[in-house]
Amino acid sequence: MSDRIFGTLTIVVALAYIASASQIKLPFLVDPLGPRWFPYIIGAVAVLAGLAMVLRPDDEPEWPALMAFGNIGLACLVLIAYALTLRPLGFLMPTALAAGLLSYQIEQRKLQAILTGVGLSGGLFIIFKFALGLGLYGVPKGWLN
Amino acid sequence: METMTLLGQGFSVALTPTNLMLAVAGCILGTIIGALPGLGPSNGVAILIPLAFSLGLDATAALVLMTSVYYGAMYGGRISSILLNIPGDEPALMTTLDGYPMAKAGRAADALVISGVASFVGALLATFGLILMAPILASIAYKFGPAEYFALYLLAFSTLGGLTGNNQAKAVLAACIGLAIATIGGNSSGTPRLSFDSLYLYDGVNFLVAIVGLFAVTEVFVFIESSGKNTAIGVKIDKITIPVRDIIRTFGTMLRGTVIGFIAGILPGAGASLGSFLAYSGEKAYAKDKSQFGKGDVRGVAAPEAGNNAAAGGALVPMLTLGVPGSGTTAVLLALLMTLNITPGPTLFSDRPEVVWGLIAALLISNVVLLILNVPMVKIFVKILMVPPWVLLPGVTMVSFVGIYSISSSWFDLLLMIGFGTLGFFLRKLDIPTVPIILGILLGGHMEDALQRAMVISGGEWQYLFSSKIAIGLWIAAVVGFVAPMFLRKFLKQPDAVPD
Amino acid sequence: MKHLNLKSLTLGAVLSLGMAAPTLAAECIAPANPGGGWDFTCRSIGKIMFDIGAVDAPIQVTNMAGGGGGLAYGLVVNDRSDDAELIVAASSATATRLAQNAYAGMTYDQVRFLGAIGVDAGIIAVATDSPFQNLNELLDAVIADPSSVTFAGGSAVGGFDHLKVLMALKRQGLEDIRTVKYIGVDGGGDAVTQAIGGFVQAITGDISEVVGFIKSGDVRVLAVLTEDRLPGEFGNIPTAREQGIDVVAGNWRGLYVPKGISDDEYARWSNALQAVADSDEWAAAMEANGLTAFNFVGDDFQIYVSNLMGEIADLSREIGVIE
Repeated sequence: MSDRIFGTLTIVVALAYIASASQIKLPFLVDPLGPRWFPYIIGAVAVLAGLAMVLRPDDEPEWPALMAFGNIGLACLVLIAYALTLRPLGFLMPTALAAGLLSYQIEQRKLQAILTGVGLSGGLFIIFKFALGLGLYGVPKGWLN
Repeated sequence: METMTLLGQGFSVALTPTNLMLAVAGCILGTIIGALPGLGPSNGVAILIPLAFSLGLDATAALVLMTSVYYGAMYGGRISSILLNIPGDEPALMTTLDGYPMAKAGRAADALVISGVASFVGALLATFGLILMAPILASIAYKFGPAEYFALYLLAFSTLGGLTGNNQAKAVLAACIGLAIATIGGNSSGTPRLSFDSLYLYDGVNFLVAIVGLFAVTEVFVFIESSGKNTAIGVKIDKITIPVRDIIRTFGTMLRGTVIGFIAGILPGAGASLGSFLAYSGEKAYAKDKSQFGKGDVRGVAAPEAGNNAAAGGALVPMLTLGVPGSGTTAVLLALLMTLNITPGPTLFSDRPEVVWGLIAALLISNVVLLILNVPMVKIFVKILMVPPWVLLPGVTMVSFVGIYSISSSWFDLLLMIGFGTLGFFLRKLDIPTVPIILGILLGGHMEDALQRAMVISGGEWQYLFSSKIAIGLWIAAVVGFVAPMFLRKFLKQPDAVPD
Repeated sequence: MKHLNLKSLTLGAVLSLGMAAPTLAAECIAPANPGGGWDFTCRSIGKIMFDIGAVDAPIQVTNMAGGGGGLAYGLVVNDRSDDAELIVAASSATATRLAQNAYAGMTYDQVRFLGAIGVDAGIIAVATDSPFQNLNELLDAVIADPSSVTFAGGSAVGGFDHLKVLMALKRQGLEDIRTVKYIGVDGGGDAVTQAIGGFVQAITGDISEVVGFIKSGDVRVLAVLTEDRLPGEFGNIPTAREQGIDVVAGNWRGLYVPKGISDDEYARWSNALQAVADSDEWAAAMEANGLTAFNFVGDDFQIYVSNLMGEIADLSREIGVIE
């Protein structure tokens, strides 16, 4: 069933892809291929592959329990929050928080998680900033002036 | 004879105590950078250039440091591929296919040693190839026009079906996902497309974002779901010995991988990823018993590692002799050379022999240093799997984020990476292989560009695609590569048709 | 991981000793991946600024690929508009994209152009075995039969390399420039390989991209697109103007800074850039990379960029790149 659902989804997305490819502005000079044909071909092949999945599905995979799905969703949210705060808040605080939360998700021990977060955040900052010379800011930029 | 004299002079330049120390430091640093997901040879070399400047190194010393980082990163990429199923960089992608199953079965150390030796063989022979034939090899690039490149990329995609998984439709679908992603952003016909007027998508999707998302982030999700079952983390490792028998057995594999990888490396625009990919699929096509590929076949580790290291050496040929960088890393090395006031090109070998031969000597030295470092260091590497997952996984995640953040310093790439991670989780469940997606992203743009250029040059005549012997040869290989696996599959399905 | 961390920490500490790494070094953004022209600008100018003591700490180079430079431009306009410790690499390509409105509506006056201190002369060239001996022969052949010649260049369709050829052809009297065949390849070196291989008939690019091939005798430059002949070893190459085709196009290498910095800060940076321009180190870097002097630092440069953009916008409108 999962294969069938995914196959159908693929066909829908592929058709949408073809539709948006047909809207691409054509270039102003000689270009026999043009920017649309390659997407058309890919879209068409994807539709065929989707059909194959609908018609000849594999065995049903083992989906995680609802609880596990919740955990993955939670981890996903943590990562998104991390991505959005990395620049405004600097490296140290968001990294400590995100690493700590992930660690706690994997094994539910508070102290261990806090230590992991703080240790990783400080250690990685030193490596990336000073050994590798990446342009990171440890704390919000405003604090430095 | 003259070559030997020049090489001798090269060694006398490269073998000073300072340079030797730099080579060792560069190899270690490169290995670490290569193993960290998101940081590969190209950004590894790029972020170390300021270091070379601030240390006030002269041209040869800077080159020694940078080439040892380059080769170190090529070696290092395989470590995280094998241990964590996360390619440290894109050329190490293929090594996940058999390296990780080996690690799950407790053979992590074997996989690391074999791939280390394969890397050595590939890199060493490629360096000899560079010494003996660079000027001749450079002319191969003149034989490859748009039609030939298009056929070459087609060959790569045609062998995908026989490569991973059991369901060909799923491999094709995965390739389509990658190719579709590759069509986002500006292409050589000038008009930006499918970028939804977003500056973030104007240049397309960076393959590193996809690779780290689909592997590293997905791996974190899978771990959380299974509470740590079904991974190599914490698997008891067999006693560490040097798998002499396997090394001897795979020696032919390494040689074949080296040849394929080296040729792919020489062609600008193909590069190390294509080298390791073709080395793997070539080896699988060559092997009589294919049943263990993807389940932990030692040949599946030896072939791509010989291939990508040979390609790394091969990629230096067009860079040095034509000034054409065939890969991201050689582009950075080229920039470094220009900053040092050295202009690569057809006259570099005669104008600046001391630089060229110093570089070649540096390559040979760092290769030997890496082999010496790598075999005993396997003991340290495998201990990574003993690090408790509650430190290891957050650590890998944070490293991935910083690696991706360093590309464009934007949150957009990070969110995209999380998106790829989520997609990867579902694909993994549905048994849809992710390797073809990466290849699609890596090669799709090149493939379309080649086709577009061929059509402009010929004024829309399709026959142009078959207008040279090389192109026709590649087309035939592509058709055979696509059709042969289908027949072989049928053949192998008969239970008694599987020989040992 | 723990062991790796320990190892790299030690190593990092050792290596850091050699580095003067103050926390607030100035930053140069190269708005592209490592290895291109912008990257070269940041790395060379940054290195020389530190070497000659124009700045106190090594300048840290950040690569910010995206949007053909637009991502970095947006960052400077929106987020860091008063950051006095920031310089950004720019070139003729920056002006071209701004003129073609390819930076999502952002305009050139939203930053302050600092100056350009070197120019990479534009060229039109052919492989040595090509029948074309001068620019007129090549252009006339295109006019007689546009399908007989394909040009290859390092920029995408509508980019600066492409515009150069179209400008020349217009001056020579070609009416419908849309029929001209052009392929955008991955850089000048690639364009040369395709020409030597016989896949394309002519190359448009910058002289730095073909220096090695001129020396090896694989490439014949039909014209440099400069006002006067180049100094030094390339002085025997005729200009397009000499051949009666009035096209001057060079790819200058320069910098811009955020709009909101004080005039003092702006003066500090323009002095530093001028010091680089006057240094022997820069002279050597220019020579090795085929650049020629182009000294245009300070407010005049802003005016120069604005004029240049006007020209590019007119031409782009004429050929249909923009409406």
